Amino acid sequence: MRVAAGVYRQYWRINILTTLEYRENFLMWFAFTIVYHGAAIAALWIVLERFPSLNGWNFRDMAFLYGLWMLAHALHNTLFSAVGDVPEHVREGEFDRILVRPLDSLFQIIATPGQVFPDELMLALAYFGVATWYSGVHIDAMFVIFVPLIVFGGALIELGIGLIVSTLSFWFVRVDALIWIVVQLEQEFTRYPLGIYSRGVRLLLTFVCPFAFMNYFPASYFLHKPDNALGFPPIAGLLTPVIGCAFVILAYVFWRFGLNRYQGVGH
Amino acid sequence: MAIIETVELRKVFRSIVRSPGIAGAVRALFSREYEEKVAVDSVTMTLAEGELVGYLGPNGAGKSTTIKMLTGILVPTSGAIKVAGVVPHRNRQANAANIGVVFGQRSQLYWDLPLRESFELLRSIYDVPRDRYRQNMAHFSEILGLDEFMGTPVRQLSLGERMRGDFAAALLHDPKIVYLDEPTIGLDVEAKEAIREFVGRINRERGTTVILTTHDLADVERLSKRIILIDEGTVIYDGTLARLRTEYGTHRTLVVTLAETYEEFAVEGGEIESREGNIVKLRFNQRRLSAETMIRRLLDRYSVSDIAIIEPEIESIVRRIYREGYNESAVGSPS
Repeated sequence: MRVAAGVYRQYWRINILTTLEYRENFLMWFAFTIVYHGAAIAALWIVLERFPSLNGWNFRDMAFLYGLWMLAHALHNTLFSAVGDVPEHVREGEFDRILVRPLDSLFQIIATPGQVFPDELMLALAYFGVATWYSGVHIDAMFVIFVPLIVFGGALIELGIGLIVSTLSFWFVRVDALIWIVVQLEQEFTRYPLGIYSRGVRLLLTFVCPFAFMNYFPASYFLHKPDNALGFPPIAGLLTPVIGCAFVILAYVFWRFGLNRYQGVGH
Repeated sequence: MAIIETVELRKVFRSIVRSPGIAGAVRALFSREYEEKVAVDSVTMTLAEGELVGYLGPNGAGKSTTIKMLTGILVPTSGAIKVAGVVPHRNRQANAANIGVVFGQRSQLYWDLPLRESFELLRSIYDVPRDRYRQNMAHFSEILGLDEFMGTPVRQLSLGERMRGDFAAALLHDPKIVYLDEPTIGLDVEAKEAIREFVGRINRERGTTVILTTHDLADVERLSKRIILIDEGTVIYDGTLARLRTEYGTHRTLVVTLAETYEEFAVEGGEIESREGNIVKLRFNQRRLSAETMIRRLLDRYSVSDIAIIEPEIESIVRRIYREGYNESAVGSPS
């Protein structure tokens, strides 16, 4: 643990140094992040202009729904985005390196220095503050205790999915199509309340890729909306941390299994 | 004491059969036929602590696959391995602490960072104590001349500089065993020499066990007494370089500088390889004739100002073994 903490500290030091070295690139990414989230929120606004309420949710509710997802997603991108690079490391043969170092392989992946900076997280925090105020969610003790846990749980759900997809690259080497599908699934289907989708999609987003726990169920709890998608009780919205942990453990077991099947590329 | 031990180590890769062309690729989408490729068939070897062994074989012989099993990257299909008391693929982290690896074609340094930062990060990963780190860095810098480019981002280093950095990185944590996979590939003469010097010193001074795979047999001649040859996934020779040379290198060459100019030149039992002016290269079978006999015959007839003996080149011996197979019975017969 002491060793891992030391490595992790160094990892952040290097990230910040690298970010400063490539300042222009960083600024362009930051501009892109603002445009990306801005466009998503604008799209919600346009839809809700035409249909003032979707499944009982108005624009103010959806602004909060988006804020909760954005925060969890930004936390994931800040802490765990390197997991998405595993297929590339496998394809280029760089992954071997991870297996000959005396630290847990997943930890090493997460702590691979790159150009990570908590800019998206800061943006998400600011947006979430505004969205909470705008949606009129009552800030009480439950909110203060559970929102951080739910956000972390949501980031773990995203990590779990990413880890499973990355593990598949041990067998298939290229998994771009699958990555694309999962990214679309997460980004498109977390923007609206679950009740607007068909039953298959609802089940998929709850039990297979549990993205609905990143924002839909917790937002329903805080906004006092009944769940008309699967008829879950409101308390389901507080399960996100548990689901996130369980999902990551499952994904990690699969990862360890995959490591023993890893064949490398070009023997 | 054995530090590395493998018994009938075997690795079979399974891959999808693809027929050539687009039609074949489309067919492969629907019908999955698997093809098994035996990369390592049966490798049994024992290395004592402190040995420096050259592990040689043609492309595709299974060298890299063996190294990947020894380092714990790949799980063997069957057979047993023990490295410093640990089964590498079952206990990767414990094994990793004992070993250092240099893959000549891949770097473990961080591309965007100054060399110094890579070392700092590796120090944390391997939990090297500060004093030990300082001592090692001072020692490595002295042999490899790292000081000149410690502050340069790795992407700006020449291949030779980068390789020197990689060697220091692999040895920073005082590993008991070092695996070097094609460490001098693509380097110029000077950088090769620096690397060989470094490997030799680490092995002698620290007693580090070294396994070296290479295409450049000069690496092996310079560094190792023992070599293991593999072909098609099996060990075909395991022994000293000297034994291989005397048993398999049937011919030696005398380089003779004649004191006078002779129209005719011939020595019984000798074959003229080349003749340029007064310098003649004379090849003879060392199983039939001793060097002494050859030299005596030569001096009986000609006046000579200088003689040198060239040992059979290990490279040509090894090439011949791959072509004809290693065969104990073939050793005695003249070729």
